[in-house]
Amino acid sequence: MNQILVIAWREVTRLRKRFGGASPLVVLVLLAVLGLSSYYLRDTITLGSGLYRVGVSGDVPPIRDSHFAVMAVDVEQGKILLDQQVIDIYINGTDVISRDDEKSQFAVRALKQYMENEELIRIGNSYAEESAFPLRVGINYLSAGQAEARPEEIIIPSLDPPSGPFEQVLTALIYILPITFISIFFTSSFMDEKINRRLTILLSTPITPFQIILGKMLPYASFALFSTILIAVFTKANIPLTLAIFTPATLFTFAIYLMVPLFYRTFKDITFIAMLVTTLTTAYLIVPAMFTNVNDFSYISPLTLAVKMYRNESFGWREYLFPSLPMAAIFGLAMFAGTRMLNEEFLMGYKPLTRKVSNAIYLMLAHSKPPFSVPLLSFFVVPIIYMSQIVFLAFATNLPARLILGFTLIASALFEEIVKAAGILALAEHGVVKSARNIIGLSFLSALGFLVGEKLLVFLSLNIVSDAPVSGALFGAGLLLFIPLIAHFVFTAIITWLSIKLKFPYVLALGIGTTVHVIYNVYVLRGGF
Amino acid sequence: MIPLLAVVKKELASVVRDRTITISILIQLFIASFSSGLLLGMLSLYDSDTILRFSGPRIRIGVVNSSKNILGSLISDRGLQTLQYATLSNAQDAYYRGEVLAIVDTPQNANGLTEIKLYLPESNTISSLVHLVLQEPLKQYENVLRAQKGIEVRYTDLKGRPSTSFEFVYSVLIPLLMFFPAFVSGSMTADSLTEEVENNTIQTLLSAPLTLNGMVGAKIISSIILSILQCIAWLTLLQWNGVAIQNTGWILLLAVVVAGITSTFAALSAVLLKDRERSQFIYSLMLLTAAAISTLLNLSPIVTLSRLALGDAYTSGWNVLIFAIFLAGLYLVLYKTSRRLLV
Repeated sequence: MNQILVIAWREVTRLRKRFGGASPLVVLVLLAVLGLSSYYLRDTITLGSGLYRVGVSGDVPPIRDSHFAVMAVDVEQGKILLDQQVIDIYINGTDVISRDDEKSQFAVRALKQYMENEELIRIGNSYAEESAFPLRVGINYLSAGQAEARPEEIIIPSLDPPSGPFEQVLTALIYILPITFISIFFTSSFMDEKINRRLTILLSTPITPFQIILGKMLPYASFALFSTILIAVFTKANIPLTLAIFTPATLFTFAIYLMVPLFYRTFKDITFIAMLVTTLTTAYLIVPAMFTNVNDFSYISPLTLAVKMYRNESFGWREYLFPSLPMAAIFGLAMFAGTRMLNEEFLMGYKPLTRKVSNAIYLMLAHSKPPFSVPLLSFFVVPIIYMSQIVFLAFATNLPARLILGFTLIASALFEEIVKAAGILALAEHGVVKSARNIIGLSFLSALGFLVGEKLLVFLSLNIVSDAPVSGALFGAGLLLFIPLIAHFVFTAIITWLSIKLKFPYVLALGIGTTVHVIYNVYVLRGGF
Repeated sequence: MIPLLAVVKKELASVVRDRTITISILIQLFIASFSSGLLLGMLSLYDSDTILRFSGPRIRIGVVNSSKNILGSLISDRGLQTLQYATLSNAQDAYYRGEVLAIVDTPQNANGLTEIKLYLPESNTISSLVHLVLQEPLKQYENVLRAQKGIEVRYTDLKGRPSTSFEFVYSVLIPLLMFFPAFVSGSMTADSLTEEVENNTIQTLLSAPLTLNGMVGAKIISSIILSILQCIAWLTLLQWNGVAIQNTGWILLLAVVVAGITSTFAALSAVLLKDRERSQFIYSLMLLTAAAISTLLNLSPIVTLSRLALGDAYTSGWNVLIFAIFLAGLYLVLYKTSRRLLV
């Protein structure tokens, strides 16, 4: 423990030195300007800024909306400009004149939204409340079962529009930004030590890699938690609940950023890998939260919990564990991987990234006997596979509808086959796995580990998504698990056998295994079993 | 001139060799397709026009009948199916039989206000969907009631067409694809310069017949080349996908100028700070601040780009020139300060 604190303190000193002098002032000035301008701009940044031009004449309320550039014209000129497509709408008093083409009609829709709000403000200011807003709608909920119905909500339609979770998602996003920034600094710190070869010196002392990683992470993790508390205070959220929601997300982010300095070879690598990581994690966190209350799968992101918290809605333990457990598991896996990879040879090697990954897998597995480590690896990468499949699904929604299913099937088969074979192939490359018995045995164990992990996750999610009978059907019948196990084993065995024994190129072997997997999936989907 | 080209070639070759640039291209593809997928998903859940277009007739609303229930006709005008029931309990029976998804009761007068009861299913998903599609008829009904009290609401007859997808393409997607490469090229310039400093290779590089400014310039130029190649690819892909884009020449020029600005910004912060950690951080902050200030000054390159792409009558090469002048000024500052890289 003491060692960890010493390293943590050294890290703080390093930061103080690096960011001492004039640069904190620059940072503060930039942050202040940024904060102030975003405050000014908070209402003006909308989808469609500056797209439309409007000509006005006569008595028209001022149009202050970032969609529109407004110019005063006279009646003749207005009509000519509209015909020439120089302006999209011409407003003469209360008459709104548009063309039939799409752009003009889009502009009318944007204007409608703006004018509706402006008129509400005008009416609200010039008439008594009950004349301006004469309608009250009492919303009652009809309960389906014996559960107690929610109390009546009374709303004024024009003032209380039904709202999606966007505002709360934005609030939840404010938490993620500092966490990302701080973890980028964490990455830089490792990199700095790597360049100066101080890491090598540290590694030659009796301090363990685990202590080094934890020690260096400690200050940054504390900053991240501190910023979370600060934001919770400012947004008047429940602090312990916020911490419970965001701690797994913070750990997850740190876990991912820990991998960046371990794998990079040049500075440009860091930039690109960090960008990739930022994009993917942000998408993974935000996108599901946009569908809060619409789809139960939104619970895969912890931001959904935050959105619920800000909407004063409750959630249970299962909903909490569903996003948090995989994130915590990934953190654990990354910490373990990090301690295995933190050695001079791995850090300083300039090899293609794929080789580095293969080396990393070997280092992770080499600590214990393959029959134990291979299935464990397959078990622990399940959350990662699961996350990449979700990300891919969102990708696939852009394809033509009839291709979506096909692409998703192929992609998920590919992801699964990559991870199931990876451990065995990495071991084979270092000469640990050679014999046919070994290949077959490990392929079976890898399939087993993967299947257990997969079903555990399905079990967790089914508990949220629907009721017990469904999961009962899945876990009660032994046969239902037996066939997938054999199937998974066969696919993995094909890839490892082709690649190790018959010396097929990896890509080809993977292609063949994946093809068989896809054919099996299609067969199952058609009701084969 | 020739040593400068040699450095440009070396930079580009290293990018090609590392292959990590593919990550950046993948990110752009990911962001573009992901955000449009997200938009599609959200429209089908949160946009009443889209919901009505796809499932309007399937949403059946029970209306408790009374001779003057204007709201019922407003609801069916909106494209929803309404079923009339004589009493509330009849309608509720129909609800439990699965005939209707929601019930609208007869409006009641209470202390000068009109009260109406809406019965929605307990399920969050369906009730928010029904509430969403009923919002427009409820607002129209509110206007009818206002008119009865002698309050005139103006501009209520505006219709238009749902504009979200159009606005997304021109104000988000195209600027994103044109400016993200610029953002990346700035990052690459900072990386490339600080790497020479931190690995102590800068002195060696300068022993070649090359001035310091030549070296910095070469790094900026190679970043810009990479960014422009990506922009050309995106523009072609967008047009293949049927997105109409005007003024492609000016758009590319604007993208080059913006890539120049970001790279010069990045080079400046590398020159002043000399390590990757701080210069990348300051670079990102400067970029965000510049974006915010340009929007405040009504000079945003994003708006300029959107307008160029739409063929706006008042936007032309002159608007691009403003950014070019800014770039020239910024480069002059870099030119004068680049010596500090060696201190």
